[in-house]
Amino acid sequence: MTENTVYVKKYGSGDGGFPVNEREIWRYCGYMGMAETVDDALKELLSEVRSELEGAFSYKVCYRRMELSWQDGMPVLPFGVQSGDLARCLAGSREVILFAATVGLEIDRHIARHQRFAPTKALLMQAYGAERVEGLCDGFCREIADQAAQEGLSCTARFSPGYGDLPLETQNDFFRLLDCSRQIGIALNESLLMTPSKSVTAIFGLGECVGEKRRHGCADCTGVDCAFRTV
Amino acid sequence: MNVLDYVKDHIVYLDGGMGTLLQKRGLQPGELPERWNVSHPDVIVEIQKSYFDAGSNIVCTNTFGANSLKFEEEELKSLILAAVENAKRARELSGASQEKYIALDIGPMGKLLEPYGDFAFEDAVSVYAKTVQIGAACGVDLIFIETMNDSYDTKAALLAAKENCDLPVFVSNAYGEDGKLMTGASPAAMVAMLEGMHADAIGANCSLGPGQLKGVVEEYLSYASVPVLLKPNAGLPRSENGQTIYDVDPREFAADMADYIQAGVRIAGGCCGTTPEYIAATRQATLGMEPKPVTDKNRTLISSYTHVVEFQDSPVLIGERINPTGKKRFKEALRNRDIDYILGEGLAQQERGAHVLDVNVGLPEIDEPELLKTVCFELQAIIDLPLQIDTTDVTAMELALRRYNGKAMINSVNGKEEVMREVFPLVRKYGGLVVCLTLDENGIPETAQERVAIAEKIIRTAENYGIAKKDLIFDTLAMTVSADSRAALATLQSLNIIRHKLGCHTSLGVSNVSFGLPNREIITAAFFSLAMENGLSAAIMNPNSNEMMKSYYSFRALHGLDENCTDYITNIGRYATVEAATASSGKTVAENPGSPSEGAEPKVASDLQRAIVKGRKEQAAVLTVKMLECEEPLDIVTNHIIPALDIVGKGFEKKTMYLPQLLMSAEASQCAFEKIRQKMTEGPSESVSRGKFVIATVHGDIHDIGKNIVKLILENYGFDVYDLGKDVPPERVVETVVEQHAPLVGLSALMTTTVPAMEETIKQLRKAAPWAKVVVGGAVLTQEYADSIGADCYAKDAMATVRYAMQEMEKLAK
Repeated sequence: MTENTVYVKKYGSGDGGFPVNEREIWRYCGYMGMAETVDDALKELLSEVRSELEGAFSYKVCYRRMELSWQDGMPVLPFGVQSGDLARCLAGSREVILFAATVGLEIDRHIARHQRFAPTKALLMQAYGAERVEGLCDGFCREIADQAAQEGLSCTARFSPGYGDLPLETQNDFFRLLDCSRQIGIALNESLLMTPSKSVTAIFGLGECVGEKRRHGCADCTGVDCAFRTV
Repeated sequence: MNVLDYVKDHIVYLDGGMGTLLQKRGLQPGELPERWNVSHPDVIVEIQKSYFDAGSNIVCTNTFGANSLKFEEEELKSLILAAVENAKRARELSGASQEKYIALDIGPMGKLLEPYGDFAFEDAVSVYAKTVQIGAACGVDLIFIETMNDSYDTKAALLAAKENCDLPVFVSNAYGEDGKLMTGASPAAMVAMLEGMHADAIGANCSLGPGQLKGVVEEYLSYASVPVLLKPNAGLPRSENGQTIYDVDPREFAADMADYIQAGVRIAGGCCGTTPEYIAATRQATLGMEPKPVTDKNRTLISSYTHVVEFQDSPVLIGERINPTGKKRFKEALRNRDIDYILGEGLAQQERGAHVLDVNVGLPEIDEPELLKTVCFELQAIIDLPLQIDTTDVTAMELALRRYNGKAMINSVNGKEEVMREVFPLVRKYGGLVVCLTLDENGIPETAQERVAIAEKIIRTAENYGIAKKDLIFDTLAMTVSADSRAALATLQSLNIIRHKLGCHTSLGVSNVSFGLPNREIITAAFFSLAMENGLSAAIMNPNSNEMMKSYYSFRALHGLDENCTDYITNIGRYATVEAATASSGKTVAENPGSPSEGAEPKVASDLQRAIVKGRKEQAAVLTVKMLECEEPLDIVTNHIIPALDIVGKGFEKKTMYLPQLLMSAEASQCAFEKIRQKMTEGPSESVSRGKFVIATVHGDIHDIGKNIVKLILENYGFDVYDLGKDVPPERVVETVVEQHAPLVGLSALMTTTVPAMEETIKQLRKAAPWAKVVVGGAVLTQEYADSIGADCYAKDAMATVRYAMQEMEKLAK
């Protein structure tokens, strides 16, 4: 069913219930599959970073559930543009969840503070923040998937503006539909990036038999130049 | 009756939710509710009438998002006009008998201001100003600024309201579960800033239900001297069978509101999820309740964008180090606009325990207004301490105060009529706690009595400007005791009288007392103790002085200001040591000469090289100092530092070392460089520079992580890097390249949307600085892209930039 209300979910501080995955943090630092080679000095620096950022994260998601109809094989969405890649992702869905997630502004403050005088620390903070917001998105999607399972529905992978042929301009639609600024304090700037920087917007589908492959993998992505590409 | 007169003797009832009611009546997802003023005026009038009927004194116009970012000017005008007409119509139609007012509702524009966002403060003021001008012309009774979740944005809106109308202004902020605004401000910090700027009523709305706002409301009531307002949500929404249900019902809501009104809240209503029923219930629950009088809390406060610093019995430490007086290195930093150096001074003082930072950037040959504004802004981007704006240039003072996020301290005014005439209007307009020097046209009086008389004159004059005594802090002027043996006595006596007889706070620049004496720290610290004993509220001092910090903690412990001596015990160890920093790390090195054990070591020629490769900062610094005793500075750079960086750089390129390691080595080599720089400024000047490199993130792009890394590595390799920051217009890049005649320019862009700005910058550079080689980088760039916009080189990472830069400099040398 389409609802007009934007709902907000807030999670406790600390890890928000999403256990920290240090391998992911090292991956964001550039150690692609080489996390075991990280030396002790850096490991120690990461634990320093983790204790400095204790309580700095405030995990919030705002979302909206909407019915989805299809026309000529394309999903009818309140977006300004169509995207074949998004259509493939949502294939078989009859509802969608639009959401925005953030871990708050405090991490940006810490990064700004260290950027000039302790750039290594700032880099680890960047990576840690990225791991946190991804963890939040995964946790939120899992929760919705569990609820949906009770209704006999399953979920597709999530898809964000800027993925594949869905232009970044779709951020404007997400912000209009989710009232992100008021609901959870994310602002969109002129170049369509978000502040707090550790924020994500995405859409995923719900349907009877969708989402065999839950995670959007590198193989699905058109970003062949990406430094993080694994295939 | 004016709403401000009405609130003096009455509880004022606001309206409840609007957006949630419009959604029920069919407002579509993403549709702008303000358009309904014109398309569905009957619906708006009906809702607003029902609020008046339920007993609301103030109904807000349906203009929450009515601003020039969302609407073209013509439509904006017609929407606001229709909104005010609708509210007036509702007022006419309602038969209810209470006093009825119409507020122009202003919500946040939805853009985040710099430094975290990309929206400029003055642009925000202009956006709000437009709405205020149109609304005020339509004939509303007051301005209601609400749901603001950022202190800086709130300041912009309030400033716009104050500058564009004479109506009363109510200001309401949206707090999270942690009791803070999204950008970090506490309620007390908001009280300090908003009262300083003369908001007429302040408080909280939205985001939470009444129960969860208890802590926020209590904080408002204990700090605010103006009426406090409260407009909570009906709790949290949840979905039940496709219906949105809020979890706090009208009865529960009203019971909580009645408790808050009993405790002192004077203006009450509801936000998301509340309906006329909630307002009627709140009215019912508070029937016959006497409004609690609003009293002056008489608290002396300053604030940053996160917290307040309160002046009470425990002295406030104001760090004095951001000041060029007598500091060669600092003057040089100011002339070169070396903001990093200044920020470093700020961070160090915070680390040492300062509560407030004095900011003085006055040098005869610089543009002080511009620089003071920039330095305050940059400090506030990374340090959450309140600032003391220290200048005699009134233009600089106004610019800095206007842009300051919070309520600043102002240094200073004095008893001279002309100075008071210039400074007090700024204090009145922007708020602030102003340091008042007890001197006047006749100079600094010798006796305590005369200094007190000047203080009394300043208090009277300030009152005429509407500035309360609590916002004045008196500096009775510490004079050099070596020049006049009774100088300290007069200072202390007048301080004592002003603090205890006049009941005002006091401050001293304590270091002045010891000019011309040996071992200055000792006598300065003794004077500091005496001054605290005489009632000193704040000291402008050097937090790097252990003696001063010892006196501070001792005084607090001895004066009943430190329960169980906890602070003394926790902190004194840091200051009780001899100046041992270098001594102790020297020892570490002796015991641990390079620790070559770990893993497969790259072949290194020296301990310094190893320290840099391993990213050991302290060790690199100590080893450099030692080597400087017997080696030439430039030899150390060439034979040890650069080879070490090459080892790491090659490792990075071969993917045997990773970005964090590259950065750690860079930090270590910077420590070594700093020591070499120190040594070289002692001797005849000799350049270590490989050449000038101008670097910037292009216009429209605010992402500078990569750019900062490149800058750091370039500096490591000895380039003189001119970092213009992010979002840099093409003209500024060109200007700097021409001015410095820099042979190399690096441009960074993260977004496809900002690559055109990069192309434009290159185009302009080709015209004005044809000699300059341009290297580009950033997430979206590729070799093809770089070629298509006419760059000389595409660098995929920091090392590639360095290689290119070195190669070009070699070509130039030939």
